[in-house]
Amino acid sequence: MSFNDYGRMPLRSNVDMQLQTAFSDGNWNAVIRLADKRAKSLKDPYYEAIKICAESQLDGAVGKSSVLTAIDELVRKKTVPDIDTLELYEWAAWDFIGGEIEYADTLGPLRVRWAKANPKSPMAIQCLRSCLEYWDLVSAQQISTALDRAYVNSGDRRHMFWSITLTFLLSISPQCSESSRKVYSLLVLKQLERAAEVTENATKVDVNDRGLQTEEEVCLYYRVLLANGSKADFIKRVQCPKLGALALLEKGHKLLFWESLKALETWGEWDLIYDLCRRALRMGVDGVTTPFFVCDWLVWKRFATAASKSATPESALEEVQAILRQYFAMDIKTAAMYKKNLSLALLETTFQLPGRSQALDDGHKGMTPRVIQLGLFLQQYFDKLSAFEDVKAYVADLSFEEAKTLMEEILPKLLDGKSDKPQQFILKSFASKLRYLLTTCPQTLSRHPSVVDGKDQSEPYQCRLCSQLTSFPCRHCLKDIVMEAACTYQQISKDKDLISSIPRLDKDPRLDLAMVIGTSILKLARLRTKDHSLTRPPMRGVDAGLLLQATLILDTQLKETPKDNGLRLLLVQLHLLLGSASIAYQLWIPMDVKRTIQDALSPLFFDRISTLSPGLFHGSRPLMEPLRTHYRNTLRDACPLKIWEAFLSGSYTSILGMNEYDSTLRRSCTMMMSMVEESRATRVFGGKGDGEIADQQLLWKITDDTTLVHQTDYGSFPNLESHHGPPFQDFVRLGPGLSNERSHLSFLAEQFADLLGYKPPKEYKPAKTHEAALRDRTYTLERLSQLANSLTTFLHAPNTPTLLTGPETTYFSVASLLASALVTCLSTSRGDPSPKPLASATQSIRAALAALRSEFTHAVATQASPCLAMADMHTLSYLRDTALAVRHAAAFVLALHDKELARDRSGKSALHRDVVAEMKALEAVAGKAVAEARAHVQRTKETLGEAGWLDRLLELTFAGGGGEDMEKAVLGVVGGDMAEAEDWAGRLLESWREGVKGWVAVKWE
Amino acid sequence: MANFRRFRPDDLNKLSKCNLDPLTETYELGFYLQYHAKWPSLFQVAEDQNGNIIGYIMGKLESSPEVYKFSEHYLPWHAHITAVTVAPEARRLGIGRLLSEQLEVAADANDAWFVDLFVRSTNHKAITFYKNMGYSIFRVVKDYYGDHSTDPTQSSEDAYDMRKPMKRDVKKEHVRDDGENHAVDPSDVW
Repeated sequence: MSFNDYGRMPLRSNVDMQLQTAFSDGNWNAVIRLADKRAKSLKDPYYEAIKICAESQLDGAVGKSSVLTAIDELVRKKTVPDIDTLELYEWAAWDFIGGEIEYADTLGPLRVRWAKANPKSPMAIQCLRSCLEYWDLVSAQQISTALDRAYVNSGDRRHMFWSITLTFLLSISPQCSESSRKVYSLLVLKQLERAAEVTENATKVDVNDRGLQTEEEVCLYYRVLLANGSKADFIKRVQCPKLGALALLEKGHKLLFWESLKALETWGEWDLIYDLCRRALRMGVDGVTTPFFVCDWLVWKRFATAASKSATPESALEEVQAILRQYFAMDIKTAAMYKKNLSLALLETTFQLPGRSQALDDGHKGMTPRVIQLGLFLQQYFDKLSAFEDVKAYVADLSFEEAKTLMEEILPKLLDGKSDKPQQFILKSFASKLRYLLTTCPQTLSRHPSVVDGKDQSEPYQCRLCSQLTSFPCRHCLKDIVMEAACTYQQISKDKDLISSIPRLDKDPRLDLAMVIGTSILKLARLRTKDHSLTRPPMRGVDAGLLLQATLILDTQLKETPKDNGLRLLLVQLHLLLGSASIAYQLWIPMDVKRTIQDALSPLFFDRISTLSPGLFHGSRPLMEPLRTHYRNTLRDACPLKIWEAFLSGSYTSILGMNEYDSTLRRSCTMMMSMVEESRATRVFGGKGDGEIADQQLLWKITDDTTLVHQTDYGSFPNLESHHGPPFQDFVRLGPGLSNERSHLSFLAEQFADLLGYKPPKEYKPAKTHEAALRDRTYTLERLSQLANSLTTFLHAPNTPTLLTGPETTYFSVASLLASALVTCLSTSRGDPSPKPLASATQSIRAALAALRSEFTHAVATQASPCLAMADMHTLSYLRDTALAVRHAAAFVLALHDKELARDRSGKSALHRDVVAEMKALEAVAGKAVAEARAHVQRTKETLGEAGWLDRLLELTFAGGGGEDMEKAVLGVVGGDMAEAEDWAGRLLESWREGVKGWVAVKWE
Repeated sequence: MANFRRFRPDDLNKLSKCNLDPLTETYELGFYLQYHAKWPSLFQVAEDQNGNIIGYIMGKLESSPEVYKFSEHYLPWHAHITAVTVAPEARRLGIGRLLSEQLEVAADANDAWFVDLFVRSTNHKAITFYKNMGYSIFRVVKDYYGDHSTDPTQSSEDAYDMRKPMKRDVKKEHVRDDGENHAVDPSDVW
């Protein structure tokens, strides 16, 4: 059939039916015969083109390349090609574009040539579209300029803006040469300034003039002005009567106002922000716009911030409050959202006003206007789901005295005022969250001498809330919080009336309480509380019992509130830490993370998953397939999805946004993660997968210079922490999140593994074996040098040490050392002097491997309990990978040596004997490490298979350092008896057993 | 707290609060971008103080293809609400209503006759919400949905095509009181 992924190719309408049918049916031999006949009889070169295209559809290499030759000839001819022929060739060459030929060097310029000669033909627009589809911006810009010139007096304004948009896109694209960049940047700015002047100076709007008329056109101008113009010009223009931000606001267009505020904030132009916000908000009061059109939270926040930065902050903030009062006084029905925005704006201005942290009464330091305003806000909104997020930052900024007053006076007063029982409990659970928040704020602690009588004190602070000596955060307060929250939780659980009222509430207060209890216990378990470094294994030094208690509570809560995705996401992380990856996966699946949201959310489960639980890759459905499909579908074409629709609709700012999004998605860390995880998992089971990682089409354009971008969405992840410390995901994640550096290193390490594991196809039997062997060696040496350089560059980047877990650092370092060592090995022949750099490299490799082995052995030996045997599989995984990389590298060198010996009996081309000796030694060391790792898996399997596990696990869970009273409290929260805990422990155990099964299936050779 | 603004493609990285909710469908990237490309002012979002999207509306302006001009089912120039969603934590604050009202303002600005939308006939909460906003049932599209939201034994469910007249429809020619009695097939909906 005459279809390819580019669609069906219609022939010219005057082509006879017989040929049309043969072409349409894909009967290529008939097409060749008929077209040849017609070409000869009609002397029309179009038939020759049909014949070439038909030949290109056949299997033979010569026929396939004939279309490329024909295109090349057209390019060289410098004449205007026939458009139908061009269309045919483009269709036939579809498979070769981006590979054998570049569109921008071939078909793009041919399209330009034709469009310039026929700018008024509708096919000229088709030429532009084709260039855009292949994202050939150089050609597209030239065509759009030709179209603009052709239609300059026609009244069709879109060509002008297509040309401007494309010139701008080209100026910011890597496709633009450095010499042209400046010219295009200036050109596009001048064009738009001219258009802006036309509009500003026009007495009336003429729909055909070349000014800026639509919101999209105006906003395009400002985007270009921001990118290529001066700050002064932007500031001047944004205040203009016709094209200024307020002028557009008056017409109901908010986009420019928003974008202007953002730009002005970047420049610190607070006086202008103040003026714009004031005038914009007044427009709502004065009826110029609909009342709440600009009443967004960010507008109020910027207005208040700008006021606080003015020369006279008192009076400026008074003005903010005066406008706020006018809004409050408006006699119209207002959406609850806007009412809340106004209340928060009032809170914000109170926090911005100087002196508002001063007590109203000297005798009561904590009762400040800020605290009073917080109390007023909470009185109205404490029962809303978002109340905690709304006030969190303000509470965290209170002084200790203010916070104490809020907790000990304001909240109890609010509680006293509530006769409604559910409301009382909502307030209690809210207070628990605030109390936890305060444990994350440094102002609740005072320094205590860290050294007393020459001895380091383990508790260098005194908690100002409970007066106890403590480390950070205060363990005593955390324990109190757990006890109190658990008590409240049990009160709710026992009260049938309360339970029945929960569906009518905004949120189940038990969920908040369970979250407070869970996070507090996790902190008490010392999960990354001593050292926030994410590079260290999270489970070292952790109180396993407490960690298990927290997980038990949260798991049990999920049964009550299964729709809470925050809780679910937290549990996913906890189970990944505990090594119960199959439970994590069961928790992950119901969230139905699919299609578009995968890029931002998948790292929350899939990152490092092959190192934790390779067995998951052997499930009923391919683990990474949905991600792979997403990237394949969305990045199939070279151009951003739906870009032509945006051009046709005149959505110029959308074009810029879509281009940026597309560029980011093509450099996505998540995309790289999905490829790397799949490649690693395939290797782990000894498979070959879909070939080498670098052959994956989506990664073709990723070079060392590509900055890979991560956009992980933690928006739904629970976070009760204040802004004084890291967010909660940093406490529970296995290691540092995705990064450009780790993504590149992982990619390079996979390429290194692919190179070592490469086996030529069986059919490959070169005629000249000696030459082929030399070529292979040269290629291998070149690749190894590249990989060594790249790995070293990324490893030595300033931030890299903080972006990798310890085992990752070791693995990538060893890969880098091995690549360098192999270069030395392969370039040192038997007759050369002994290669000195090799000894130093192999010594470092041995040392790194030994360090990783000892780290793992130490971890196993010091494990809180054999129950946590599955909790450090990440280290085990990298121990295996590192050892196997060494082993494979050594085997690679020795195999080459043997091959050379077999090929060249003189031994001249064989490797140096020191090389051989070093490699044999390395192979032995690596083999030992592999055996150890394998034995550990076997031991773990046996241990987990022993009887009495359930009791051991429960014993460990309830032997945490929290004390008997806390264990009792925890048990109370999960139902009061051991039944729930036993059921939970059984599932956990089952998951570990399932996990170890996956590890047993791993290949160790 | 919330801000209302136009959708930007990078908002797709901040959708978890809305799209992890089982009531919100997640589409292919092209679907979102199509709306952003063709009707950018009708794709509005509400964001919280951390930039998370806590609500959004996707709408379009169109009429039925010209070829159906003389069909009784022809739809003149109108705005259509394709999707509207609010994150669980941001419900009961009027965000859905505000987003819908913003789309209606855009519909009026573009001289649309009416705004319409489709809703499952068993989604009583949504039907009441829209009725309170001035929408009424114009017709029932039989077996429009390929599944049933409340009854797993059924393989399909009807949709209500609800409409609200815009300023252009002075005589209220494009709405009717007895829409529940006007049933059409899915093939009559373009």
